[in-house]
Amino acid sequence: MIEIQGLRKAFGAVAAVRDVSFNAADGTVVGLLGPNGAGKTTTLRMLSGLMRPDAGTIRVDNADVVADPIGAQSHMGLLPDSRGLYPRLTPIEHIEYFGRLHGIEGPALAERTRTLVARLGLTDVANRRVSGFSQGERTKVALARALVHQPRNVILDEPTNGLDVMSTRAMREVIRGLRRDGCCVLFSSHIMQEVSALCDRIVVIAQGTVVADGTPDELRSVTGRDNLEDAFVALAGLETEEIA
Amino acid sequence: MSTLKLIWIVLAKELRDGLRDRRSIMSALIGATLSPLLIGGMLTVIAGRGKDAEEIKLPVAGVENAPAFVDWLKQQTGVEIVKAPADPEQAVRDRKEDVVLIIEKDFSKNMARGVPAPVKLITDGTRDSARPKAERAKTLVTDYSSQLAALRLIARGVAPSIAVPVRVQDVEVSSAQERLATLLNILPLFLVLAALTGGLQIAIDATAGERERGSLEPLLLSPVPRVALAAGKWLAASTFGCGSVVFSLLLTVNVLRRVPWHELGIRFRVSDGDLMSLLALVLPLALFLSAVVMFASTFARSFKEAQGYIGLLILLPMLPGVLSSLYPLSNRPWLAPIPIVGQYALAADVLGGKPPSVAYYVLSGVSVVACAIVLLALTSRLLTREKIIFGR
Repeated sequence: MIEIQGLRKAFGAVAAVRDVSFNAADGTVVGLLGPNGAGKTTTLRMLSGLMRPDAGTIRVDNADVVADPIGAQSHMGLLPDSRGLYPRLTPIEHIEYFGRLHGIEGPALAERTRTLVARLGLTDVANRRVSGFSQGERTKVALARALVHQPRNVILDEPTNGLDVMSTRAMREVIRGLRRDGCCVLFSSHIMQEVSALCDRIVVIAQGTVVADGTPDELRSVTGRDNLEDAFVALAGLETEEIA
Repeated sequence: MSTLKLIWIVLAKELRDGLRDRRSIMSALIGATLSPLLIGGMLTVIAGRGKDAEEIKLPVAGVENAPAFVDWLKQQTGVEIVKAPADPEQAVRDRKEDVVLIIEKDFSKNMARGVPAPVKLITDGTRDSARPKAERAKTLVTDYSSQLAALRLIARGVAPSIAVPVRVQDVEVSSAQERLATLLNILPLFLVLAALTGGLQIAIDATAGERERGSLEPLLLSPVPRVALAAGKWLAASTFGCGSVVFSLLLTVNVLRRVPWHELGIRFRVSDGDLMSLLALVLPLALFLSAVVMFASTFARSFKEAQGYIGLLILLPMLPGVLSSLYPLSNRPWLAPIPIVGQYALAADVLGGKPPSVAYYVLSGVSVVACAIVLLALTSRLLTREKIIFGR
């Protein structure tokens, strides 16, 4: 359960996020949709607790992210914008390291590692150092380390960025699996198809503000467009002249 | 989960990662082997020079002008008279000869008339390596001169002592150990460099490297206090630094035991206690230097940028080392609490055979570790800065 209220963040004179509020309930997939530079990554960074908002509140499973980032972080699994790995460690070592940092150890850690390796299709490369990995394999390892502590809230920043068709499908499967498990999944994207294929709800963000929030059907009816992509373009203000 | 346990988890990961990194291992090894090789080589060369002065081959021009003088020279122990080159001055200038003695034509005539007989000693003052030999040659000539003077006075019925109103007697107050210490002054410098280079790569990799790879942000998403992350990384770098110091010291001692000390006229003895003292001084410094490197390279977005900062930092341990050869740091134990300088000062006393009291070791150790902890706290503060977490 993620609740964001009145979020604001400026870098110098540039207001990256002006006013963002939305909720994401358990067992649903919420898409944060917006063009490049709309403020998606900044919003997710504030949600992760690593960036302090200028104003607003963020609660994750009733933990206050701004007041107690470390406490809130154990409720969240985050695949951030940067997914750097340690080139000399294997996928298993990555998962185990982050598992231990979350306080998991012994047989529980071994069990969890095995599950993640199987679920993300890393079995063949599980004991190879990650230095020569493909983009898809790297993303899987980054995702595995984000999910090691079985977080109830999963936040993914453009999870299919740079992935090929097969890896994109695998990622969608993972997201659906998380929803089945009752997790709250929030992911950002600028790709329409992806959002429409997965999301129960869509939050459209443009120039740092939420311009629409609802189910795909609601968005279509609000904008009067059948095609979700057209609805998005209209909402994001990308064709203001045409609408006028 | 306790902070200590988290520190241990980070430390174990960084050590494993570091041991798999060829660059980390190479940097630690090179730092450790530089010292024994250079010190061994240097001392062997110095020993060789001392030997040069004792067994001297002296080129003499104009042997026929003073047969008696040349005969006397030949009788002196370790002196062999050889033919001088055609152009003595040019030969010395070209470094073909270290020193040439020229006996002038008028030598015998002046000698017979009782006026000073002319000889020339050709030397090059800019050459340190030729100096012992040149000094030996000069001493030989003055010895001959004073012997003859004494004989002339006796022949005239005067006691030779009347012509020596003042006699200089050299009293050397430094012990043989202390004189050796001036040669070994360079040892602490090398140990400090080993402490720095040993943990250098791993300290950069764990800070600037994390930022460059983009693995810092994911790491900071774990519910771990920043100070535990910084401390684990710092301890990993310090472990490498300490390992490098121990390795370097063991190798250096091995080399020192093979140097031909008797040819230097010094009985070399570095006791195991002295070794332990040096370790006790330099190991805490490895903790400090790792903390300095980590703090500096946390500002860097990439490995390369960090190496730029560290290039300047390497001058830091060199500076007191260079300084100490101009302004000796021995017998100044109150310098102990100043990082690096204190270690040099106390090490100079240890090597000089006058080990300082335990309190000074404690003082220097506590001060240096306290500085490291301050730097560590600053580094963990840096890890909360948005510019550092997200700036790539």
